[in-house]
Amino acid sequence: MFHQLKNILSPNLIKTKWPAFNIAEKFRSIHLSQTYCKLKEERRAARINPKIDDGTEGEKQFGIDSLSLKREELFPSEDTPNKLFKNIPFNQIPICNIKVSKNNTIITITDAKGVVRLLRSCGVEGFKNTRKGTNIAAQATAITIGSNALNKGYSMLRVRLSGLGPGRMSALKGLQMAGLDIISVTDNTPVSWNPPRPRKQRRL
Amino acid sequence: MPNRHIPFLARTVLVRNGNVDEAARILNRILGKEGILDQYRRTRYYEKPSQQRRRINYEKCKAIYNEDMTRKMQFIMRKNRADPFPGCI
Repeated sequence: MFHQLKNILSPNLIKTKWPAFNIAEKFRSIHLSQTYCKLKEERRAARINPKIDDGTEGEKQFGIDSLSLKREELFPSEDTPNKLFKNIPFNQIPICNIKVSKNNTIITITDAKGVVRLLRSCGVEGFKNTRKGTNIAAQATAITIGSNALNKGYSMLRVRLSGLGPGRMSALKGLQMAGLDIISVTDNTPVSWNPPRPRKQRRL
Repeated sequence: MPNRHIPFLARTVLVRNGNVDEAARILNRILGKEGILDQYRRTRYYEKPSQQRRRINYEKCKAIYNEDMTRKMQFIMRKNRADPFPGCI
């Protein structure tokens, strides 16, 4: 098609402004151009506003079901609270609460009853302002609190996550890097299908 | 707000062989699939009724499109052989 185009356009005209191959590139078939432009526009938008990392790795994954392999090992059952992990029943293991938000990550370690023993947040750790809400801050915080917990004698933990934010996965990773033994991961994000009216939309 | 679920039984994944990352990913995947994370994100800010209508209409259209498209693909890919892909697992 482009060759025909080149032949139709007189060589003089081409020479005046652009070389011939450029002219051929300037023309687009009508039925494709709209989709193409749209795609381009989308790509541009994606580049300008990169997707916010809210720490939910694996959300959009569709694995060929690895879940079906050993279901009974993965999910708790009615016997789990009394199941022994290194001679401690599951419901006696200390708890680590990780509260993740867009701007901060707060990690507390409590005993099995829920009495807070250790608390650390990204702000306490020394990250201030926007740096608080990063995955690196969360990981550093988790490593600090993890080593503190080890010193206090909490080697096994049940983790309870709540909220979405950049620290969600990296806090877990930090705890692991500190050398703690994580027994289970629970999600405790407060989600309601008939919530009270939330605050108004952000104006951008 | 009281938590009406049994703690550490609901929305819990046990860690297998120290593989925390896998457990967290499974948890995220399930939460994502069930639409819990979407609902959480949606309720951070008030969604005006008009926006809600638009979203729901869009979702309906998308679901219809997806359904039709899967049916179409199934139709194109249908086969009538004893072993449809010989030599493959």
